[in-house]
Amino acid sequence: MKETRLGDFEEVILLLVGILDEEAYAFKIAEEFESQTERSVSIGAVHSTLNRLGEKGFLTSEMGESTAERGGRRKRIYSITASGQRVLQESRDFKVSLWNQFPAFASGNLKIEWLNL
Amino acid sequence: MSHTSPHITPPKAATRLLLRFIKDELAEEVLGDLEEKFLKTIQTKTAKQARKNYWYQVIQYIRPFALKKLKLPGLRGQNPFDMYKHYLKISWRNLVRSKVFSSIKIGGFAIGIAACILIALFIQHEASYDRHYVDGDRIYRIANNYQSEDGSEMWVNLHGPLKPVLEESFPEIEKVSRAVLWSWGNAGENHIRPINSRQNIYDEGFFYADPELLEILEIPMVYGNSREALTAPNSMVITKSKADKYFPNENPVGRQMVLNDTPEDTYTIGGVMEDFPSNSHLQGDFILTLAERKTGPGTSGWCCTNYTFYLKLTPGSDKVALEDKMVKLRDTYLLDKFLEAGMTDVEDLKKHQSYYLQPIANAHLNPEHIYDSQVHGSHDLLWIFGTVAVIILIIACLNFINLSTARSVKRAKEVGLRKVVGSVRSSLIYQYLAESVFYSLLSVMVAALIAYLALPLFNTIADKSLSIPWTSAWFIPSLLLISLLIGTLSGLYPAFYLSHFNPIEALKGRATSGIKSSFFRSAMVVFQFTATVILIIGALVMHRQFEHYMDKALGFEKEQVINLLGVNTLKETEREVLREELLRLSEVENATLGDYLPVAGGAITNFGFQVEARKATDPGFEAARWRIDEDYLSTMGMELVAGRNFTKRASDEEGIIINERMAQGFALEDPVGTWLVDMFDGRYQIIGVVKDFHFESLTSNVRPLAMVLGKGQSTISVKVKTEDMQASIAAISRVWKDIKPNQPIRYSFMDERFELMYTDLARIKQLFLTFSVLAIVVACLGLFALSAYTIEQRSKEISVRKVLGASVSRIFTLLATDFVKLVIIASLIAIPAGWYLMDNFLNDMANRIELSWPIFTLATIAAFVIALVTISYESIKAALMNPASRLRSE
Repeated sequence: MKETRLGDFEEVILLLVGILDEEAYAFKIAEEFESQTERSVSIGAVHSTLNRLGEKGFLTSEMGESTAERGGRRKRIYSITASGQRVLQESRDFKVSLWNQFPAFASGNLKIEWLNL
Repeated sequence: MSHTSPHITPPKAATRLLLRFIKDELAEEVLGDLEEKFLKTIQTKTAKQARKNYWYQVIQYIRPFALKKLKLPGLRGQNPFDMYKHYLKISWRNLVRSKVFSSIKIGGFAIGIAACILIALFIQHEASYDRHYVDGDRIYRIANNYQSEDGSEMWVNLHGPLKPVLEESFPEIEKVSRAVLWSWGNAGENHIRPINSRQNIYDEGFFYADPELLEILEIPMVYGNSREALTAPNSMVITKSKADKYFPNENPVGRQMVLNDTPEDTYTIGGVMEDFPSNSHLQGDFILTLAERKTGPGTSGWCCTNYTFYLKLTPGSDKVALEDKMVKLRDTYLLDKFLEAGMTDVEDLKKHQSYYLQPIANAHLNPEHIYDSQVHGSHDLLWIFGTVAVIILIIACLNFINLSTARSVKRAKEVGLRKVVGSVRSSLIYQYLAESVFYSLLSVMVAALIAYLALPLFNTIADKSLSIPWTSAWFIPSLLLISLLIGTLSGLYPAFYLSHFNPIEALKGRATSGIKSSFFRSAMVVFQFTATVILIIGALVMHRQFEHYMDKALGFEKEQVINLLGVNTLKETEREVLREELLRLSEVENATLGDYLPVAGGAITNFGFQVEARKATDPGFEAARWRIDEDYLSTMGMELVAGRNFTKRASDEEGIIINERMAQGFALEDPVGTWLVDMFDGRYQIIGVVKDFHFESLTSNVRPLAMVLGKGQSTISVKVKTEDMQASIAAISRVWKDIKPNQPIRYSFMDERFELMYTDLARIKQLFLTFSVLAIVVACLGLFALSAYTIEQRSKEISVRKVLGASVSRIFTLLATDFVKLVIIASLIAIPAGWYLMDNFLNDMANRIELSWPIFTLATIAAFVIALVTISYESIKAALMNPASRLRSE
């Protein structure tokens, strides 16, 4: 795939894969997404995104072990590739640079915030 | 197996569904994930919720990445997409191989569909009138409903004082508003200026209404609010576009405007409304209030019916019950008022008349044929055009079928070979259906393009401002749906026909089209030409009828008469001066000051009249009442059949001139000298009878007309001597400029205004003609391709005949006869059908023409010539061919 841009949802999923490490499979990622963002998501939607990230080369996957909770079925564990790491880094740098150009934030001069306190 | 709750498992049906569509390699991990999710859910929620969630998760897996590759029945083991790709490729090759044939196939189809798209847009727009009100189901117009043995009639005009009566008597009526939509007082057209300006500007679209109208019709306001904008006396509301014209970039509320240089007619702007949408039956730019008026509109009593009534009912009220209650109210209360006001035919009214509430959504197309002074769409017209659209589409579809089967011999070998290598019939049917859908898809695309390009022309002819709704959610999908539908429909027959060939026969080259199919093809050609001939007849009849109206002896001279308009801004003495100045010009033969004209845009007044001597016994009837001066009849070239014209004598104040129709109505042997009375007890003696002339549209009959002496206020009609209109206008303009420098001269030619009355008819004629031509073109395209095909099939026969000595003309006759026979059959069917249809159509019109043989002969000959020309190219080519070239090939 030539497409290497990262969507919002994709970025969050990619980060969650990193956080969950050995436990990064579709169900767990969906659970983690729901508990971290308090937004509901279907496993299918997460799976589809994982699949797309795989096609873009940001993730690899392999079949893991089976556990009893899953009726003895194996799970597919995802892990971030080097290019996945890079695209996350770029995304963060870009946002930090944007925040630094935002005068109210850069100077720490958020008056309205103070007043509200 | 689960440890926690072994008895609760995910729903089996959902699992089965998942396994059905999901890729095999994903099944294990996904099932595992979903089961984990299910067990997790069960810990916090009920089993039912968990099962529901499981279903949800399964449905959510219906995503492209997870789906199995589709397998269609009948194509087991193949990749169907490859197969469709193959069909597409073959279709494309066939298309490219015979370019003329294919372009006729697609072009004919596209023209047909384009015509349908345009007509559909037109119909959709016509049907969209007055559907935009939030409370549309509670808004009505009141109509009088007269039903008797002699026929029925409905009209909108009602008595002014009815408004407070309705408001007090019926709680289910939420709001009532009257409107004056005909040229009374300042309604219609005026010269207007802001009070601090000197320059009079001509504008139209004035009407009167009660303050409630804004709320009833939910008119959105830009400035001011709809509750109060018209409540103050002499207030008015103007549209946004007029506000921008007179008061650019400001809020004009509170500003004053003067109408026709008359200080009493000064109006204060109470609000600015949005322009009426183009699909509102009510149009206009200036609403003048009826509230607290002292004279004219708004003040007439129980004598006269001058108002259109709009109602808004309370939610849930019963329209029919209200209609009945209104009749009761009339019988118990209103009749006395009518009697007091001098009504004579009360008994007739009581017996035959009731009220009808017309839903606002019907106001434009007016299927009830309620008479009012507004421009309406025509319900019948929509049906006519809808039918024409369907006919054109059918002709195009038949073309398609015809051309597909005609090519069958060429494709027979293909079919044979496919069958030999193992294709089953169903997949052949699939192939030809796919091909036909492919063609229709191409056609629809071309059609959309044609429609887009032809739309400006169509808009001009139909006087609409339609646009193709590319972006709306339904347009593209419905086009695709249509192409799928007609592609399948018109592909069905060819698909079944082509796929039935016996492979051995086909490969030997013996799969001829057979008698059955050639009969079928002939029948289709006959149908196409029947429809075509009927359309030609229709177009001819409409054309004749229109010409008949244009050429009819009207009873007055419309040539070389100029109407000088807007003289109501002049003082009465000035008007007289203007007239005399005009008469002094060498170009001018005569001039009259009169507002009543026998063409569109003249004033209208109707009075009830009775013969004085029979007042007690004969209720009389209503007649148009005109006020004319002594120069009117001579200027307009109207002819007296008895008596004399008005003179300047004072005794003529009581004189009246009636038309022949009115004399007949009173059954007067010698009308001159008879005394008449009008509904206001005015007494008049008949001094003359004028020959009937058509003062209203020729589509209705001449009504009774009575003319009394009086000066007009707004129009001076000038009869000029010369043919040189330019010079006359220039001379008249100079006179005008001296008298009224602050107002540009405005004039119209009476013959042009006459034609204006028939623009609708002209428009219908033009549209019908256009679509008939389209139908003919499509039918001809089909015939052309068909002739090419049959001639090609017979080329060997032709060659042999030529070798044996047949002449070119002999061969041409031979080939043409087959098609000419079909056209003869088509004409034989079309003539009686066309006669019947057109006779019905004309029956609705007054002054109709009689259907005569020339029309039908002409239509038949036209169809003949068109058919002959169409087939002659291929026929002559075949007849001129060198026979050796064809015979050598085997």
